Amino acid sequence: MYKTLIKASLGLIFLAALLVIPRYVESPYALHMMILLFLSVSQGQSWNILGGYAGQYSVGHAAYFGVGAYTTMMLMYSRQVVPWVGVWVGVAIVIVVALVIGSICFRLRGPYFVLASIAVAEIMRLSAINLTTLTNGAEGILATEIPAFKIGERVITDFLTKVPFYYIGLFLALFTIAITYWVQHSKLGYYFQAIREDQDAAHSLGIHITVYKNIGLVISAVLTSLAGAFYGIYVGFVDPPTVLGLDVSVQIMLICIIGGMGTIWGPVLGSLLLVPLSEALRSNMITEGLVKIGLVSADSRIGLFLKENLSHAHVLLYGILVVLVILFMPEGLMGFIKKMAPRRNREAV
Amino acid sequence: MAILEIKSVSKFFGGLAANSDVSFVVEEGTIMGLIGPNGAGKTTLFNCITGYYPPSKGEVIFNGRRMNGLQPDKVCMLGMVRTWQKVRPLAKLSVIDNVMVGALARTSSLKHARELAMEQLKVVRLEHRVDFLAGGLPIGERKKLEVARALATQPKLLLLDEVMGGLNPAESEEIIQLILDIKHHGLTQMVIEHDMKAIMRISDRIVVLTSGEKLTEGTPQEVVSNQDVIDAYLGESHA
Repeated sequence: MYKTLIKASLGLIFLAALLVIPRYVESPYALHMMILLFLSVSQGQSWNILGGYAGQYSVGHAAYFGVGAYTTMMLMYSRQVVPWVGVWVGVAIVIVVALVIGSICFRLRGPYFVLASIAVAEIMRLSAINLTTLTNGAEGILATEIPAFKIGERVITDFLTKVPFYYIGLFLALFTIAITYWVQHSKLGYYFQAIREDQDAAHSLGIHITVYKNIGLVISAVLTSLAGAFYGIYVGFVDPPTVLGLDVSVQIMLICIIGGMGTIWGPVLGSLLLVPLSEALRSNMITEGLVKIGLVSADSRIGLFLKENLSHAHVLLYGILVVLVILFMPEGLMGFIKKMAPRRNREAV
Repeated sequence: MAILEIKSVSKFFGGLAANSDVSFVVEEGTIMGLIGPNGAGKTTLFNCITGYYPPSKGEVIFNGRRMNGLQPDKVCMLGMVRTWQKVRPLAKLSVIDNVMVGALARTSSLKHARELAMEQLKVVRLEHRVDFLAGGLPIGERKKLEVARALATQPKLLLLDEVMGGLNPAESEEIIQLILDIKHHGLTQMVIEHDMKAIMRISDRIVVLTSGEKLTEGTPQEVVSNQDVIDAYLGESHA
């Protein structure tokens, strides 16, 4: 009783802090980092529902991310549809796409499903490159001017600073966490996990496997497309590799695998680790840090080498990270933390 | 009244007849034993009955309804549920969550499912394991969990596939009592078992399969004194 009260009040304080951050933090870079974090949480959480709970390891979530991003951007760019309308068109399209993909790919199990999901995302990427009249092909779509958001005559925001994006991102992250919480505490979550643990056993217990896998896919795809739309509007630019590339799919998975699959807080932990890491690499912070603490000198050959290469090495480091996680924390950070906690409910003795 | 009718069911895998022309009837409220040497097609028959394989020929009639071609989930919803020879616990879920998955076939409320699941855990006497992870249970308790999870779907017919396999005599005895308890509550059961003493005690009737065909059928006494059964399956010592 006390514990839940403490937990709830801590949560509220944390939430309040998140809400007031933009009032006190003016650095656009800090806000940018937070926005990336929110985006990552919502991506990881979306994948979590299908991959973590239902055990269907899709390596093609870029398809849904890309469709969400592209639809919103294309509508804004060529039809002047405001993004907060366009995003729902994206959602509608993604539902259809997900059901088509699901009805084909869910005939396959395990590694074959993984391969099929990759293939589907690649089809999407190649289509985006080649359907130039629709998508502008490899050039991508640049649309940075977002019309002001008004209710009646009152301008709520004109999207000139990062603050509105901060709140949209925060809302998106909280929304995906809430959906995951709801899934875990409903019949759906039980059925997803039963399918993950043993599909044949689940089938014998009255669970319509294909229906539930498709429900999982649709929820997951819709949330991913919302994240995609948000990404497109925030960055103001989409092209095939950045929203439909294989590394987008992999990145979405990694957030969840590293953080802990099938847990509510896993994707949050994964994001807290991965987002700063990839930013630090991209901005060469690590090399600068090493120089600062005197480990390497900036002019030495090693220093120059690191400066030159480390910023491109984030994929390599991700790889190393995944290997380490699989070796030492097969259930992700979240599983590791749980294991450190008192060993209740572990094994029957 | 017949709850399950197997009418000339055959199942072919390529040229191999895993079941051929098997027919029998299970009466409501009774226990039907299914015995036979390894490879006789007992589990295949279970798979045909519960929708994992469509029978190649013949019909499965449950409660007056033709079941051929129905998927396992539909079969379960209509009231027929099976356990697995090789147990299939949902390893990373707790014991109660495992049974709740079964109970959720009949309710959408988690609270109600939890109550139903607790009842079944009491029936199989696993109340003390409620919050344990299913994957960590010893084999005897996994078998019981399997039964509890199946019972939680509120079946009219329970099919148990070697639920005593791999158990020590004390554990087997518990399962025998459990099966008799379940019968006492009016539930029809079909049981595959290798332990002749056990199957003699629990069954009202027994069907004997060899190489996919029905060798004979009758009360336990009739079956053990049948010369064909002795030759094919039991050997001299049981005579």
